[in-house]
Amino acid sequence: MKNRIIMFWAIVAIVLVSISVLFSKPTKFGLDLVGGSRLELQAQKTDTIANITPEMMDSLTFAIKKRVNAIGVAETHVQRVGTDRLIVEIPNISDLDEAKKMIGDTAELEFKKNIAPEGQKENWVSTGLTGKDLTSAAVGSSQTGQWVVDLVFNSAGTKKFADLTQALVGKQMAIFFNGELQSAPVIQEPILEGRAQISGGGENGGFSSKQAKDMVDLLNAGALPVPAKIIQENTVGPTLGSDSIKKSETAGAIGLGLVMLFMILYYRLPGIVADIALCLYGIMLFALFKHINVTLTLAGIAGFILSVGMAVDANILIFERTKEELKAGRTLYTAITSGFDRAFTSIFDSNMTTIITCAILYWKGTDIVRGFALTLALGVVVSMFTAITVTKNFMLLIFGTKSLTHPFLFGLHKDEIGTAYQVTESKKENAKFGVLD
Amino acid sequence: MKLNIVKYRVLFLCISALMIIPCLGTMIYSCVVSPNHAPVKVSIDYTGGTILQYGVKTDVTTDEMAKLRKKLSDNGINGAEIQIINVNNNETSDIKSLISIRTQFIENGSGVDKKITSIVQSEFKNAQLDQISSVGPTLGKELFTNSLVALGLALLGIICYLTIRFQFDYALAAILGLVHDVIFVCGAFSILGILFGVEVDALFVTAILTVIGFSVHDTIVVFDRVRENLRYYSKKMSFGEIVNFSINQTLARSINTSLTTLLTLFALYFFGGVTTKNFVLAMILGIAIGTYSSIFFCSVLVDIWDEKRYDVLKTKRA
Repeated sequence: MKNRIIMFWAIVAIVLVSISVLFSKPTKFGLDLVGGSRLELQAQKTDTIANITPEMMDSLTFAIKKRVNAIGVAETHVQRVGTDRLIVEIPNISDLDEAKKMIGDTAELEFKKNIAPEGQKENWVSTGLTGKDLTSAAVGSSQTGQWVVDLVFNSAGTKKFADLTQALVGKQMAIFFNGELQSAPVIQEPILEGRAQISGGGENGGFSSKQAKDMVDLLNAGALPVPAKIIQENTVGPTLGSDSIKKSETAGAIGLGLVMLFMILYYRLPGIVADIALCLYGIMLFALFKHINVTLTLAGIAGFILSVGMAVDANILIFERTKEELKAGRTLYTAITSGFDRAFTSIFDSNMTTIITCAILYWKGTDIVRGFALTLALGVVVSMFTAITVTKNFMLLIFGTKSLTHPFLFGLHKDEIGTAYQVTESKKENAKFGVLD
Repeated sequence: MKLNIVKYRVLFLCISALMIIPCLGTMIYSCVVSPNHAPVKVSIDYTGGTILQYGVKTDVTTDEMAKLRKKLSDNGINGAEIQIINVNNNETSDIKSLISIRTQFIENGSGVDKKITSIVQSEFKNAQLDQISSVGPTLGKELFTNSLVALGLALLGIICYLTIRFQFDYALAAILGLVHDVIFVCGAFSILGILFGVEVDALFVTAILTVIGFSVHDTIVVFDRVRENLRYYSKKMSFGEIVNFSINQTLARSINTSLTTLLTLFALYFFGGVTTKNFVLAMILGIAIGTYSSIFFCSVLVDIWDEKRYDVLKTKRA
């Protein structure tokens, strides 16, 4: 009895801790619920890049992070997966096209010279001077009041640029950005101080302020070491997201209510105990989610709601067993304890198979699948505690060694008791199941 | 309530066959007829492609849909599949239907997505782009292989676990039971795919794996009982009687567990989010059939296989 009271207070303590966690930590919802964009990028091999090395991925991650931060949205995540992929998560985005452009742009700045003979169509070739030779870029304005991009070269770049401009005096030098010709000024004199200016594309007369700013952001973030392509995208608008949360809440409440009602109607008093355990299950599991920072996605919530239905399974197994034992004419105490003990192997076995499948799903699945597997597996583990330990403790505290005066409380009729098959057990088994009579 | 399952075992095997054969038939038909040669209609998760989903504040008629389809193909967007999903309205948003347009994979920066958006917005005034899902074609193939690997591994894991815990014949019966369930759910989705265009996505595999777990779970409970009862009653009853008795003892539990799980699933189906609807439907079907198979299929198999061996064993002992 003493142990049981200690256990009871331990359970109360766990519940109190869980509730405090529930109130102190915010729930982390997935992008499919709050709205936002999840992009998966893959580094692309090119003629010059035969292999994607981890170092390349590191600098790609770094460059993408800088760019995403330049968009100015809080809580963006860039994460490397596998050997050549990146996952970029941007919540609450207003202009997705803009973001995608910023992420996917290789931001290659190249200085080219014309090798075609005079009078013929220009033939631009690389000079070896690229965006890598820059220290910084900034938005500026020209004397004519147009938006321009000011470039500052690093020492190597300064040298290259000086050599080039010396060689090209009186000739054109073109600036290409992402393969597009930006401007092709004629070099008047050698430029030795390592500065250059890009004025906007010829035909439409200069940059807009936004074009200039975007180019500066991209140049400062650095060119991507490898081109990256978006291979998967999932974008959810904020209205759809909040709608999904609302609906999941409704579905969860209705599901929980129906299950609780069923348990009371079918199992009576033990049903009420199971319902209390079920509520504690919900509180503890949710607190656990918050504590270990599980991101709740729509699939994850579905897993959670499903686990509510499955959590009472252990109680159903136990109570069915208890009822049978009562029908076989056992005392109440024996019926309750052997109900728990005998149902345990079944509960353990079946939960093991669920955990096996969840582990495999978590290992092999995509993000959305992983969310589901994680919530379901955690649910199974927590439900083992609430449905077995908590329910047993409460049942024994309520009934103790009293005899069953009201079979109605267990959903039984008086005349059903003692009519079932009598099981003959060996002394050893009696001892194992704690049979007293 | 007392069911005599062992007595009518041939009948129950016939019912299972009646459910399985049309499912297999449809799946084979779909393999031959469908463009991807898959037994079910597969979503962009596996084929690669882009889905653009627009929320509109009015109901969409079939006329309007046809008009939209024509306008899209006039603008060079061929083979787009358009689906209308009705949303059960609630106070959080005034969106009444979702128009979902599935096309081939739209490369970033190609502008095709913008073109589609402007076409949709010219047809429906308040249409608003709510969701974009896009999967590259190579990634789709990879996801597909991954799903099959996951499925295979899960089966292997369960087989190993069952063989360790039970004798091999029990394990085999449980496995045949889950194959029975998987064929039924896949077949049902194959039929739904042909009739209503229901697609199978990455979450479907998750549903199948959960159903497998659940189905085995149910079967284990029955078999555990058979094993336990064999210890106590082997002298008094025949094998068939023990199996029957065990099924009846666990019947209330099997039905109640499925019922509570189904209650939550139905709540999710009718009140939950649109995105998980097919996923939940797969689970509903799977859990219903899983309960059926553990009572009427797996136990019957064990009964048929073990009856003779068991009786021989008993006479030898006597």
